[in-house]
Amino acid sequence: MILQTLFLGFFGVAAVWFGVVVFRTSSMVRSALALLFSQAAIGAMFLAMQAEFLGVLQIMMMATEMSIMAIFMVMYMMDPGGLGEMEMSHQKRISIAAGVLGTLAAVGVALLADWGTVAAAPPAAEQTERLGTEMLGRSMLVFETAGVTILTAMVAATAVAIEGRGAGVSE
Amino acid sequence: MVALLTGAVLFGVGLYGALSQTNLVMIMMGVELMLGGALVNLVAFWRFLHPEGYQGQMFVLIVMTVMALEMAVGFGVGTARFRSKGSVEMEEARELRG
Amino acid sequence: MTTLAVLLMLLAGAYLVAVLEGWSATGRFRPAGPALSAIALLGRESIVPRKPDRIFFEVAPVLLLVSTMLAAAVLPLGPSLVIADMATGALFLNAALAYVMVALVMAGWGPDSAYAMVAGWRFLGQLVGYSMPIVMAIVGVAMRAESLQNTAIVESQAVVPNALYQPAGFVVFFLAAMCLAFLPPFDLPTAPGELAGGVESEYAGARLAVMRLGRMVLVVTLSAAVTVFYLGGWYGPVLPGWAWSAAKMLAVAAAMLAAGRYVPRLREAHLLAWWWKLGIPLALFNIFYVGVLLLVVR
Repeated sequence: MILQTLFLGFFGVAAVWFGVVVFRTSSMVRSALALLFSQAAIGAMFLAMQAEFLGVLQIMMMATEMSIMAIFMVMYMMDPGGLGEMEMSHQKRISIAAGVLGTLAAVGVALLADWGTVAAAPPAAEQTERLGTEMLGRSMLVFETAGVTILTAMVAATAVAIEGRGAGVSE
Repeated sequence: MVALLTGAVLFGVGLYGALSQTNLVMIMMGVELMLGGALVNLVAFWRFLHPEGYQGQMFVLIVMTVMALEMAVGFGVGTARFRSKGSVEMEEARELRG
Repeated sequence: MTTLAVLLMLLAGAYLVAVLEGWSATGRFRPAGPALSAIALLGRESIVPRKPDRIFFEVAPVLLLVSTMLAAAVLPLGPSLVIADMATGALFLNAALAYVMVALVMAGWGPDSAYAMVAGWRFLGQLVGYSMPIVMAIVGVAMRAESLQNTAIVESQAVVPNALYQPAGFVVFFLAAMCLAFLPPFDLPTAPGELAGGVESEYAGARLAVMRLGRMVLVVTLSAAVTVFYLGGWYGPVLPGWAWSAAKMLAVAAAMLAAGRYVPRLREAHLLAWWWKLGIPLALFNIFYVGVLLLVVR
């Protein structure tokens, strides 16, 4: 229990620190890879909370996603190396206020609510099997909807990004 | 408790980023951080309050799917915009046309 | 104890694969080749480009080595010869190998050089091609074993190895593993003639030694993955389990290294076209085929 809290705390601090680095660094690729390591720390937190399948899934997906984000940053942003001095943000005071307010609200809910007792976690192999049963049994509709949504998003993203014949822009 | 606090702070950092950055890609990174914070909270709720029911994990899977999808569609839109305007700065995005 | 044994086997495997690669690349069989070149590399001066992204430059070779060793930690080389038998071992293997890609992207961006950068981004494109089929092939294997645990996957092949049970999946996984280990003909990241070495071009001395070692361990890990998933791991008549594992791993590594020498390097566009138009339907067909076999024929 103590060990779990320690690991959670360590990876939590790592996730937050990398998250802050994302917005403080001026190099774009460092930003994207800092986000990658933040998400990997989140995945490690899942592992520390004994959600093994979710943790491994998060770590794997985020590696690919964030590398793709890195290449998009290099494609679309000026100064991807961050060696020039550029001011990249606007409405700073509003956003800092919003960020702090959001954090305080969530922390307040976390500290003030009465959460109940802590239960034990099932072993990992059983978890995967039961997640699969749940997914294809009770939550089948959710699963199918997610599948159709993924297909729609793939088609939509491709259609938006393809250069039209002579038009040049999405329809 | 630690997990919930971490989720809260991640959410706050993501919100700051999503509101303050001018570039589409950076805004999306802020949104990813917010969703990551939400995921941490979800897994904490599942693990410490209801480890026997799996709807929690199902929800986490759906949120992960949403993260991937919004990235995909966002980059598709960004690509189209870059082709027509030459940049993806949000300050210049005042019209709905194009 | 098992950790040490597995690590030693990995190191021996990496050395033998390096000898095999030298043999297939130059045509001369030099058993002492890797040791001599390692000593030479460690002794050379360490040249750093003028304005590298320091963090990425230093971290990339180390991350390559660490991620491949993490991937190797979940592969069983014998009935109890596994460092960490995770319940989601097959998926963890894929997760750790995804960080190989992160390491190469770092190695591409870090040195602030055109050749390295092009090579790094090319590998990302390559990953977009092979990453779906490799996961789908693993799904086919896990379906037969009804578990993601690697030891369970090997034990499900006690009678018929998966290479015969799911040949489509075997071919897909084998080719995707070659892609992941950027062996020729998929060696876009380190294209020796075209990009002057690609991601390895700006590394010299000790860092290059670490990168080459990481690459060799990656080939060994992927060969071990092919044996665990498709060739039945440690099953075999006369020799002890680990000897069969080692023999199968070496055979797979030799096949991977030899297969690519006769095909010219695939261009990025063609590679992606082949993977997405042929590889993914083949992997999906494999899943369907395994499903039919499991549900109907059993």
